[in-house]
Amino acid sequence: MVNSFFFIGLPYIAVFSLVAGSIYRFKSERFSYSALSSQFLESKKLLWGSVLWHAGIMIIFVGHLIPFLLPGLWQSLTSQPAFVVAVEVLGVAAAFTALVGLVVLFVRRILSRHIQSVTTPVDLVVLALLIVQILIGIQTAAGHRWGSMWSVQTTTPYLWSVLTLQPDLIHVDSLPPTVKLHIAVAWIIIMLVPFSRLVHAFSLPIQYLWRAPQQVIWTNARRIRHIAPVIRKAEESRRLFLKGALGLGTAGGLLTVGVMDKLVRFFSGPNMTPEEQAALLQKRLERLEMTAEERDLELERMRNDYIFVANLKELSPKDGKYFIDYQMRPALAYRDTTGLPLLISAKCTHLGCTVASSVDASGRILCPCHISYFDLKTGMPQPGSPATKPLPLLGWALMDTQGNILVSQAPDGRREGEVPADKLEASMVYIAKRYEETV
Amino acid sequence: MGSERMNAVGAFLRDRLPLSHFSYEEMVGKKLVPVHRMSWGYYFGGLVLFFFLVQLGTGVMLLFYYQPTVSDAHASVEYITKHVGGGALIRNLHAWASSCMIFCLFVHLLTTFAMKAFEKPREITWISGVILLMVTFGFGFTGYLLPWHQIAVNATKVGLQSIEEAGQYMPGALADFPRYVKELIQGEAAVGQATLSRFYALHVVILPLLTFATLGLHVLMVQLHGMSQGVDHPTGKTERFFPFFLLKDFSLWGLVFLAVITLALCLPFESLFAYPLFEPFDPLGSTPEGIKPEWYFFFLYYPLELLPFWVVMLAMNAGIVLLLAVPWIFRRSSRRTLSMIAAAAALYLVTMTLFGDAIYTFFKGVPG
Amino acid sequence: MTPRRFLPAAIAFTLALPAYGYPEFQQFVKKNSGRGTNCAMCHVHPDGPEGLKPGQIGSLSTEELNQLNRARAAFEPGQNAHNPILNAFGDSIINTLGKTKFLQIRLHPEELPEALGDTSDLDRDGIPDSKEYIAGTHPLDDSSGEPASLFLINLRRYAFHLVMMVVATGAGLYGLNAMLHWFDLLMSSGRDKDASEK
Repeated sequence: MVNSFFFIGLPYIAVFSLVAGSIYRFKSERFSYSALSSQFLESKKLLWGSVLWHAGIMIIFVGHLIPFLLPGLWQSLTSQPAFVVAVEVLGVAAAFTALVGLVVLFVRRILSRHIQSVTTPVDLVVLALLIVQILIGIQTAAGHRWGSMWSVQTTTPYLWSVLTLQPDLIHVDSLPPTVKLHIAVAWIIIMLVPFSRLVHAFSLPIQYLWRAPQQVIWTNARRIRHIAPVIRKAEESRRLFLKGALGLGTAGGLLTVGVMDKLVRFFSGPNMTPEEQAALLQKRLERLEMTAEERDLELERMRNDYIFVANLKELSPKDGKYFIDYQMRPALAYRDTTGLPLLISAKCTHLGCTVASSVDASGRILCPCHISYFDLKTGMPQPGSPATKPLPLLGWALMDTQGNILVSQAPDGRREGEVPADKLEASMVYIAKRYEETV
Repeated sequence: MGSERMNAVGAFLRDRLPLSHFSYEEMVGKKLVPVHRMSWGYYFGGLVLFFFLVQLGTGVMLLFYYQPTVSDAHASVEYITKHVGGGALIRNLHAWASSCMIFCLFVHLLTTFAMKAFEKPREITWISGVILLMVTFGFGFTGYLLPWHQIAVNATKVGLQSIEEAGQYMPGALADFPRYVKELIQGEAAVGQATLSRFYALHVVILPLLTFATLGLHVLMVQLHGMSQGVDHPTGKTERFFPFFLLKDFSLWGLVFLAVITLALCLPFESLFAYPLFEPFDPLGSTPEGIKPEWYFFFLYYPLELLPFWVVMLAMNAGIVLLLAVPWIFRRSSRRTLSMIAAAAALYLVTMTLFGDAIYTFFKGVPG
Repeated sequence: MTPRRFLPAAIAFTLALPAYGYPEFQQFVKKNSGRGTNCAMCHVHPDGPEGLKPGQIGSLSTEELNQLNRARAAFEPGQNAHNPILNAFGDSIINTLGKTKFLQIRLHPEELPEALGDTSDLDRDGIPDSKEYIAGTHPLDDSSGEPASLFLINLRRYAFHLVMMVVATGAGLYGLNAMLHWFDLLMSSGRDKDASEK
């Protein structure tokens, strides 16, 4: 019953009052069909109050109008989360702007004795209602979020049902009380429009945007002649300033929304599924293990006099096996044609890249970074290669399974011990710390 | 005699540091910007500043997630790009804006040179500018290492190795000195955790502080001395710095920001390179092909690859000294001559940057 | 498996053996695209399947080795076998073609894209896997792709953001321009005032 009154009865009363009252007022007191200007009575507060209020309410008005008139377009726009955030932030900012302006206007009407003479009680009531209405609006935006999205399914069809004379309560029934209150107060304000200064909204406020601003002054002929150019310039100046402020304000608003959107998402951290989290954690663990492995190699090289490289029989003359030398540099192990190990540094003497392991037909290995070829036997770079210094050969030691050194060779080729032909296949290749110091 | 000297020193300082101009009126209110056919050159300094601010903002944001350890650096960068909301955009913006900043810096250097903006009494402006150039290259070099991927670490190795190369030209005991310098920079025998920590400290603390100080001096000098006339025969036309030039500057910043953020949003910086370069650095694995420094080091990198090392080293050191001494060397040159030198330098930079690889292939027979 | 446990093994075997996968594909891609590529396009490890690093055969557990053997026997397409040495793209090739077809096509690596079709886009960057294969970019990394196509795809993807940024920039420039004229007017009226006062 209450619902029926506020959302079916009241709307029609309001619309009737709006239409009939406006026509009556237009016919009977034509010149009052405006807000009775009070600019000459008090202008400073008016400027701030009026500009803020009008700027704010126009944005809000457009924001309420588009979902009503073009629900399809609006729905496709609001499917973009960034757009919803932008619109809502803009809307709330505009609401606060309008609220500040309205409060200034309200205070001005109450405090200035001059202005009270052109103020009707209805004006004050409407002002108060507007303030309340904006507060409810802000509460709606904050408490029942993303009205720009849900309004298309609720208030838009309701308004259309009222407008097409088939009022349907089903769309508003389930709305929260705040929203219902917002709608009801809106109808009351519409009802009061013809009896208050709000009626000036019908004198095509849009033209304010294009026409040169007018200033309401007490005047006489002499004075007009004197101040006309000054006024023209002041008008021009004000229009340019407003255009500038509008442009910069829009840009600043959009920029703020965009940057805030990115900042909030950046600092609120990642949005990951448990699988993604597990995969990430595993990857990080693997990296840590690799680092640990490296540290392990390093420690091993600090502590041991011999480091195992490979079993001799696993080495091939064509394809080298990477290992890490005492300086933690990559090195390659081959087996030369005499069946003995051949150990060579794999750190390119040009700029330190890792040399590739396969030996080409002319017995060379290649550093892929800047195409330096090195002779495997001597380590000498091919003439014309970027590298000019040879890859150093490394010393080695062969041990049997019991850990006895069978034979060892220094980097310069000096050999200690005899090569035991019978034990060769089962022997293991080591690098020795004592040879590193001579490199 | 003594007091004359004193007066001369005083006059020298007074000319270079016109602190009597230190007022809003002189530095902002009445400042004029000459209008002539080279006026576009006046905007590039502002653009460099703008990109520096972008770097500052995005850099601070990256700092929240980046972890400077060899085991975590690559993973944390990947985390920023793949998982943090808007992280890819921020990181990409940092990469694109760094390139844009250095590009604008090159243009700024060449135009101010051609316009003889270093002319007495603006020597301090010029020298602080050269220092800022070096600092910016320092930013580029240190920042390149931080993601700890293959190209980052290997290119850093190559860069640092060239310091050591200088050793072969040093006599006797000094021969080890460059290696010592290199190890001082990288903190240990090979590029590793110590290097990463050092570069990180340089990139996020020391270089920014250095920039603030030098940039402060640079901008203060520009405002104290006002704009240089820029052409040999001034047109006599000027516009006010505030608000006109400044508003135009801001308009340009807006347009440039739109362009850069479009790039950052739509074109990942890494898509311009082969993907193996962005795998985590593996000290024991193979080095992928195509290890190169950033494009803005090509003008140094390709000669280094093609010419004997000592030629490039000598040319580079001579270049730095020359750059610092510009205000005195070219004291009497006309702007026409300077423009031609600047054009030649620009031609060299563009050729080496765009066609360096082709030139390298031509001489060496294989792609660089 | 902790690093310490397999460390002796790591030293006993190679640290990084050359790849023994199917390098024909990589060679074709490199020659065709001119871009540097490596085994990580299809394998887990960039140095290929042989070795002891994560994703290489030497690092697999017994269970993973069984998985490997099952995957290697997936001769018909559509078996959804996961191979522990392959990445998602490698798995999807075998799943689409089957091992038999794959071994045939190996001799004509240029035919792989056609066999794969262009419906699958594993990294969702807008460029189908088969196109990424031809271009030598990574099919599993959305920041890797042919720069021009990636740019155009992203232009469309971020159209809304871009339009908003263009609007913001346009509004800002409009505002700055109006401000410029406003200041101009203020200055000129200032000059008028000075002139009239003189």
